[in-house]
Amino acid sequence: MNRPLPARRYAFLQTVQWFIFGILALLCYFLMTSGSSIKPLLLIPLAICISAHFGEIPAAAVGVFGGLLTDIACGKLLGYNAVWLVTCCVMTSLLHSYVLRDKLLNVLLLTAVCTAVQGYLDFMFYYAIWGHADVELIYMRIMLPSGIMTLLSTIPIWLIVRHICEKCGSRRSFELEKTIVSAQ
Amino acid sequence: MNHFLKSTRFKVILFILALLIGIMIYAVSAGGYQLSAEGLFRAVSAPVQRFSNSISERVEHSLHVYRDAEIHYEQNKALKQEVAELNKELADYAATKQKLADLQEFVGIKEQYPDMVLSAPCEVTGYVTNDPFHAFTIGQGSAEGLSLYDPVVTDLGLVGVITSLGEHTAQVTTILSPQVSVAAYCSTTKDHGVVTGTVADALDGKCRMQYLEKETAIKTDKVILTSGENGMFPKGYVIGYVRDVQVDDTGLTAAAVLEPASEIADLSMVIVIKDFDGKGRDRHE
Repeated sequence: MNRPLPARRYAFLQTVQWFIFGILALLCYFLMTSGSSIKPLLLIPLAICISAHFGEIPAAAVGVFGGLLTDIACGKLLGYNAVWLVTCCVMTSLLHSYVLRDKLLNVLLLTAVCTAVQGYLDFMFYYAIWGHADVELIYMRIMLPSGIMTLLSTIPIWLIVRHICEKCGSRRSFELEKTIVSAQ
Repeated sequence: MNHFLKSTRFKVILFILALLIGIMIYAVSAGGYQLSAEGLFRAVSAPVQRFSNSISERVEHSLHVYRDAEIHYEQNKALKQEVAELNKELADYAATKQKLADLQEFVGIKEQYPDMVLSAPCEVTGYVTNDPFHAFTIGQGSAEGLSLYDPVVTDLGLVGVITSLGEHTAQVTTILSPQVSVAAYCSTTKDHGVVTGTVADALDGKCRMQYLEKETAIKTDKVILTSGENGMFPKGYVIGYVRDVQVDDTGLTAAAVLEPASEIADLSMVIVIKDFDGKGRDRHE
């Protein structure tokens, strides 16, 4: 049985962890804004994967940061994606606290739902609402491939985030560890 | 779950959501001007974005070479055939004279507008993610003297218009977008129409000149220029080349499918026309 981390070491690892998450988010942002081809919305799976390992408030903060970056990358109204991503991240955190286990399939399902709804809202508010002809082509030729790419990108992102959380000890695992030790 | 809904954490999350909605409403009221935090982030991230964009362009270019080898082969064959046809056309004096007149008009644009105030070359810092109309961000803004709705061009032709402006960045909506309408005319037939984007054309990198007469004389390869009406764009700037002419679904008018003169999906540098003769003419009248 591993001994719990000392508080100072834990605080240091947490700082490193959030710094790495910040770098990862910026990396995803730069990948999303490079070139003009269709790309996955990498910030969505990243925010969902991080939220699965933390409480509601950190999850909400991740949602705000990821959502605002997505808004800037996609040229959308500032706060538009953030509102939805905060909701998704808090729901992810709550579901992982009370119902779900930290499994890839669960995160894939949550990302699929989040991406599908985000894509639908995007399609409705930015394209369909204007009544342009052949608007369904945008869904078929841009949003659907991008959504599938987003879903596929969840796998490596989930592996990376889980690895970072294991190495740095997320709040949830830290508390679980403390509980087990105190119970003994 | 019930415990969570009554907790302070839930109230904090509700506060965050309310704050975000407030930001959204404030952003809407800004009327095209970027919020200072957004502008600051764009300005700070621009150098890294430029770097990642240049890498991405190289990777995309390399991938295109392999992916589109067959297409390039077919295009090459088609181009060879086209060259042969053009050589035949060269023998035809009248056709040559007409083409020469087109070219003279094209070359004469700059001489025709000595009063045009151009920006310094603006670097394309990045394309808007998954935008079907290839909107992009440039590395200059209001601090460099750019204004909302300034036309954006390359030396080859019209690209679009500034629709969102920050201090050191601006977002450009291209002529592939249905949001942009440009009064235009054909350099040879003098037919007038409105160039705008449609979803189907934009996905093929094309736009459309609408409201032409059903019996229009416009034919493939003709040059389409801006007419300068309504004072949004300078008169006589090249928009693109006619690739097809179709009668509209209504059967009352025709439309010409245009290939923009600039390679809109693959831009690295553009120029903003800050001022020109007749700018905002109709708006001020």
